[in-house]
Amino acid sequence: MTLARTIGFIASLAVAILFIFLWHLVTLYKLVPPVFLPPPMKTYDALVQGLASGPLLKASLATLQRMLLGWLLACVAGVGIGALVGTSPVLMRYLGPTLEAFRPIPASALIPVLIAIVGLSEGMILSVIAFGALWPMLLATIHGLQSVEPLLYDVAGALRMNMATIISKIGLPSAVPDILAAMRLSLTIALILATVCEMLSGNTGLGQWLLYSARQFSSANLFAGILILGVFGYLTNALMTVAERHLLRWKSPHEANRAGIA
Amino acid sequence: MTQIGQTAQMRLEGVSLSYGAKLVLSDINLDIARGEIVSVVGPSGCGKTTSLRVLAGLVSPSGGRIVYEGTPLSGPRRDIAIVFQDYGKALLPWRTAYQNISLALETMGTDKSERPDRIHALLKLIGLGNHADKFPSQMSGGMQQRLQIARALAQEPSVLLMDEPFGALDAMTRQTLQDELLTLSTKTGATIYFVTHDLEEAVYLSDRVVGLLPNPGRVGRIFDVNLPRPRDQLTTRESPEFLHLRHELYQFVKGAEQ
Amino acid sequence: MTAPAGPTRPFDWRPLAVPLALITAWELAMVLGPATTSETLAAPHAVLVGFFTIVADGTLLTATAQTLGAALGGLAAAVAIGLVLGLVLGLSALIDMLLEVSIEAIRPVPSIALVPLAMMIYGFGYRMEMSIIAFTAMWPVMILTRTAIRDLEPRLLEVAKALRMSFSDKVMKIMLPAIAPRVFVALRLAAGVALVVAITVEIASNPQGLGAAMILAQQTFHPELTLAILIWIGLLGYGINHALLYLQRRLFAFGTGSEVSHDAR
Repeated sequence: MTLARTIGFIASLAVAILFIFLWHLVTLYKLVPPVFLPPPMKTYDALVQGLASGPLLKASLATLQRMLLGWLLACVAGVGIGALVGTSPVLMRYLGPTLEAFRPIPASALIPVLIAIVGLSEGMILSVIAFGALWPMLLATIHGLQSVEPLLYDVAGALRMNMATIISKIGLPSAVPDILAAMRLSLTIALILATVCEMLSGNTGLGQWLLYSARQFSSANLFAGILILGVFGYLTNALMTVAERHLLRWKSPHEANRAGIA
Repeated sequence: MTQIGQTAQMRLEGVSLSYGAKLVLSDINLDIARGEIVSVVGPSGCGKTTSLRVLAGLVSPSGGRIVYEGTPLSGPRRDIAIVFQDYGKALLPWRTAYQNISLALETMGTDKSERPDRIHALLKLIGLGNHADKFPSQMSGGMQQRLQIARALAQEPSVLLMDEPFGALDAMTRQTLQDELLTLSTKTGATIYFVTHDLEEAVYLSDRVVGLLPNPGRVGRIFDVNLPRPRDQLTTRESPEFLHLRHELYQFVKGAEQ
Repeated sequence: MTAPAGPTRPFDWRPLAVPLALITAWELAMVLGPATTSETLAAPHAVLVGFFTIVADGTLLTATAQTLGAALGGLAAAVAIGLVLGLVLGLSALIDMLLEVSIEAIRPVPSIALVPLAMMIYGFGYRMEMSIIAFTAMWPVMILTRTAIRDLEPRLLEVAKALRMSFSDKVMKIMLPAIAPRVFVALRLAAGVALVVAITVEIASNPQGLGAAMILAQQTFHPELTLAILIWIGLLGYGINHALLYLQRRLFAFGTGSEVSHDAR
């Protein structure tokens, strides 16, 4: 089984390399204008040079930092407020529907409103990212806490647990699957918001790098930037998968599949 | 074994309960002696489970009161433990067997250093010594229910309230757990209040069987079980006395259903 | 357990209390305070007036049509590509295995990263917006179609075998109808993604549609219009999702299987 998987992976990798070779041929015979599609080697050179000489590295790190900081802020605020609202029937009654009303609003649509109010300085970009990425986790925490198995509250009652213990030992752990799924979604939102804000503000970062490369018709630099964003997307997703595997190992395989670990 | 009127550990005094306009329990009087095993049977809707929730302090009676160890019961107590019917939902799925038992010790503020020994002892007592690190989803129904019993025992209860604990298990597992429960009751001396719909199970386990009548739930008849202990799945169940009691209980429940 | 609710339960006003209080406080602060002529924030009544202004002069309608047009075009492409890819990957374990690395390498690229590239190739306008929407929205369609095929009831395929159906008959008469409910779920998710991506692209660069209208309003210091369009976008998203949910329930009363949530990349 594992051997078959290994062979499959190697074959799959070979196919990917074949695609890169095809890409090479396409650029070699100029089937697509090189302004739009740089040869793979040139992309690689742009990547290595950009990282080695600094500007691309600086832009990448700036984007990564914005995204992660914004996301962390969003995690703390989202889960914190969600826990507060989700465990208080009173708050839930008054605030629940209002918070739910924010769900259909795309995070990026908040940018123009927030720019108008707070501007686009460095600190403000962070708050834009945090505010935009906060909603999925806020709503997921509330949902998770609302759908705790009711019998567990009887168990808690029989053990005479106080409110704080019920939240920390029963409520939040049982909301973890929902929260993790939302954290994954929020990471993607944070990456997109960081990039859009960089495009709009011109602050150093991959968003600005991409826009600048496109304006200069420097497709190799553009592709290098896209590649790095892809790697960020891949890595953050992979990290979430590892986290879910570990934190949700108590789920039966069937449930785990439904939770979207696969 | 025990006669009504003897010093009771737990006493239901005219307990009644209504949800809105619906009367669920009506004027229930019952004395339960220390160490006694009392089963509760009756047709569905007779308030078996509700009576257990009232004894647990999870629900306050609308009328009458429960006196526990001489003082009125005002809410859940840690020396009154519950084993729920739905073991799949009553265990914390994200905690291992070990950690599920630990939950009880954590909330009771048991000293951290004491916990491992006690948890391992409980796991062994209940026959889960080799499954400490398993999650509930990796255990069979019988094992999950054993685990729930172990968690209840971690509270070192003087009263164990059990709500159809073996109802969802297969016949073989059920009989094994019945015998294990009898052994536990001798070992711990805990009083057991056992809700079941299985009449044979009620007779097999109990010192007394309380037959409830429905609409509203009230005590219809109390059956004394004078079968010798220790009991045995074959000989006890084949004894004329057992068969006679089973017959009477059957007649009672049949009559109550009409 | 609680008492059963009577037939005439009084209206629950509590969910409205906080928004109403906030709006009132906001209105009072804007009207009475020194910030009456704010360039950053507008009073609720101004938002309402602004909304009717852009409804009356047709701006909102044009922008909405542009956004929805791009979203719909991109969605159509996404569904077509995603469906075909999903079918192929679902039917052939070999192809699925061979393409795994390539797909997993492309899929995590965030939609927004492609905006400058699409801009370079197509310039501004529908085509660049639609290409990015198509790229982003095709993944949920592809993945849900693939899992739907994988999870097909084996009995159904045995029926096809017993009837000695041709391959095309098997796909057209058994497989597609069987996976239709789950593909519709994918369509609904993809529609949500398409709308979000359309607005994101318009905010980031493409000078058309609701996103660009928001940016324009912000840059020309019309916060009341920015807010009015924001609320309109929320209503639009809500309306589309619920319309599709309604359709889903009407069309597939026999159930849609398990729903899988997907990230809107």
